Amino acid sequence: MADKYLVEPDLGFVKEVVGLGGESLKKCFQCATCSVACQLSPENKPFPRKEMIAASWGLKDRLVSDVDIWLCHECGDCSTLCPRGAKPGDVIAAVRSIAISEYAAPKALGKAVNDPKKLPILILIPIVIFILLGKLTGFLNFNPGGDEVVHSHFFSTWLVDIVFVPLALWVVVSFGMALKRFISDMHENALLEGKVVEKGFDLKGIIESAIKVVFTILKHDKFSECSENKPRATSHLMVLYGFIGLFIVTNVFFFTLYGLGIHGPYSQMNPFKWLGNVAGVSLVIGSFLMIRQRLSNPDMTTSYKDWYLLGLVFGLGATGMLTEITRLADLAGLSYGLYFAHLILIFNLFAYLPFSKLAHLVYRTTAMIYAEYYDRK
Amino acid sequence: MTKDNTSPANGSILVVGGGISGLTTTLEAAEAGYEVFLVENKPYLGGRVSQLNQYFPKLCPPTCGLEINFKRIKDNRKIKVFTMAEVEKVEGSPGNYNATIKLNPRLINENCTACGECVDVCPVERKNDFNFDMDNTKAVYKASEMAFPMRYTIDSSVCKGSECGKCADVCKYNAVELNMESKTLNIQVGAVVWSTGWKPYDAEQIDNLGFGKHKNIITNMMMERLSAPNGPTKGEIIRPSDKKAPESVVFVQCAGSRDENHLTYCSYICCMASLKQATYVRAQYPEAKIYIFYIDLRTPGQKYEKFYKNLKEDENVFFIKGKVAEVTEEPDGSITVVAEDTIAGEKVRQTADMVILATGMQPAAKPHADLKVNEDGFIINDFEKGGMFAAGCANKPADVVSSNQNATGMALKAIQTLVKR
Repeated sequence: MADKYLVEPDLGFVKEVVGLGGESLKKCFQCATCSVACQLSPENKPFPRKEMIAASWGLKDRLVSDVDIWLCHECGDCSTLCPRGAKPGDVIAAVRSIAISEYAAPKALGKAVNDPKKLPILILIPIVIFILLGKLTGFLNFNPGGDEVVHSHFFSTWLVDIVFVPLALWVVVSFGMALKRFISDMHENALLEGKVVEKGFDLKGIIESAIKVVFTILKHDKFSECSENKPRATSHLMVLYGFIGLFIVTNVFFFTLYGLGIHGPYSQMNPFKWLGNVAGVSLVIGSFLMIRQRLSNPDMTTSYKDWYLLGLVFGLGATGMLTEITRLADLAGLSYGLYFAHLILIFNLFAYLPFSKLAHLVYRTTAMIYAEYYDRK
Repeated sequence: MTKDNTSPANGSILVVGGGISGLTTTLEAAEAGYEVFLVENKPYLGGRVSQLNQYFPKLCPPTCGLEINFKRIKDNRKIKVFTMAEVEKVEGSPGNYNATIKLNPRLINENCTACGECVDVCPVERKNDFNFDMDNTKAVYKASEMAFPMRYTIDSSVCKGSECGKCADVCKYNAVELNMESKTLNIQVGAVVWSTGWKPYDAEQIDNLGFGKHKNIITNMMMERLSAPNGPTKGEIIRPSDKKAPESVVFVQCAGSRDENHLTYCSYICCMASLKQATYVRAQYPEAKIYIFYIDLRTPGQKYEKFYKNLKEDENVFFIKGKVAEVTEEPDGSITVVAEDTIAGEKVRQTADMVILATGMQPAAKPHADLKVNEDGFIINDFEKGGMFAAGCANKPADVVSSNQNATGMALKAIQTLVKR
């Protein structure tokens, strides 16, 4: 570290942290109980005490590139023991949210995702795209008719794919760019603060670390190490597995459609259909439990960023399952309406993935692999 | 129950609590010529100070100070002392209060010469609360070496009474009265000073610091008793589990203080208490390592700052800025504490033979009178209303010096109440 360090506080950043659920930030008096209370915090340069003072001083640059904010699983053990009610867990969550907006481009979209006033616009965007494109191409038919409910007669799979395939590609590119910056900043910051020692690039080591981390995530080992977090681990895992299941099903059916030319709806006896149904139910129940846990825990600060994502996930699962149920019940109008709503929510999830709290999936995984590779324990 | 309705002249002052503050108020007022009733609920005067090994910063024993005060009380005919007495209620207005006082039976009368023959024959033991239950006494006991009044007491909650009666048989002075009953008396006073003092915060409430689970974690007040020549170990600092002489000691500051889960406020004395106790350890063990974990060290004023500065010169005293938040017991009974050294930014795991929790102060009593208290239970002095005042730690956490200054001030406030009438 340099002999002199000029603190340049970013007051806007402090206000932003406060606005995103970290209003207790300034109560911290640096006793460091939190760093000990945290079961995930490493021995060397432990968190979140240092994050608390950095946030208080408005050191945005140091925080958004801090690997440690992602090692935190927001269990609240630190907040429970905090003698001042400074809630380090909530502060770190707010900092994560800012880090997501910081690395995602365009930044205006990142801000919009965290602003409840912009929600109508975010919902309106897919509606406009669907209707405009649908009318231009003729792939959207508001009077599909027929004896049987077939969603593609209403909203053609072509229309789905000309919207979502480019969207998925854009998400990948956008994330790729963000990650490149994030990783280089994270490494620079970790070296500067003495969190890691340079060990160079070793692909084999990185792959090994990645495999280890993927298993850790699939078992939610880190999540369960937090003692206050035990009940939340299950619901979070249900949502994760729900998404994984649906990801597999979507890809299989994409291949079935374009590779094998077989059009849906597919038989209920199809094992992938089973997987889809189970995953959907898991998503709905998991997100429902997460919402309930947040509502019933007064110690946990929940801000708009949390509700946006939870509402989205629950709505996504619920509209998906209801679309299927109404289809089987031959309720054509209702089913088409639900399907349209479902697609709007999916658009929200996809398009805003690099900007919303869901981006933790990518950032946390990356940070965990980095910490594993550099042996930050 | 008999009633004794003595109602002495009304220009008198009631002092509730006979600790260092109550003694001071009593003496200051009485020596200015006012009649004072001093009511103490324990069998002895001196309060928390009598439990200390030494005062800071001069490191003199509490006998210095208490003894002279006891002598002044003995010599002053204006003072009436009631021990084992509780103020049940105080009613009235400034200049004119009626106090109801319950005198609990001591079962030993004024004839007692403290010869101690009763102790040898007493068959019942009790935990010694004066020493924080670190040893036992018989049911008939003398609170401490310097108890004032120097008389034995029988703990009626464990004594078998007249069916045993061995103490009464052996007593040459007819001092044992196993059938003594409690009495209630009413007194008229013009002013009341509440010096009900403090009690140590219950360390078992602090889950993560392991008190009550691990034997070698003790509180700072236990450390005073352990170091005092009249304590359970005759002043030898040894760890409770195996009587080993400690080679290393950890002090945990702010154990329950400045913590909204426990006591929200700073208890004022704990930093100085730990620094003082570090000198106890050093006096007995020249090589022992002493680790003091703190959030901020608060040593206000010139003298305390100097005390801290002197201790810093000891190269085997280590100050670590970071609060202990986790403790574990090692197989040999020693304790490992975990904290983040916030200056180095590293977690520290320090194993030591003994851990002393610097627990804070809580108000000891809830007065049965028309008084305002703050959210923590300390009495707020309402000087506009007047008549009743709080002195010492009943008012706020304080050291002996400030308590005495404050108690002197409250003696004057009480006198003013009488004179203004």
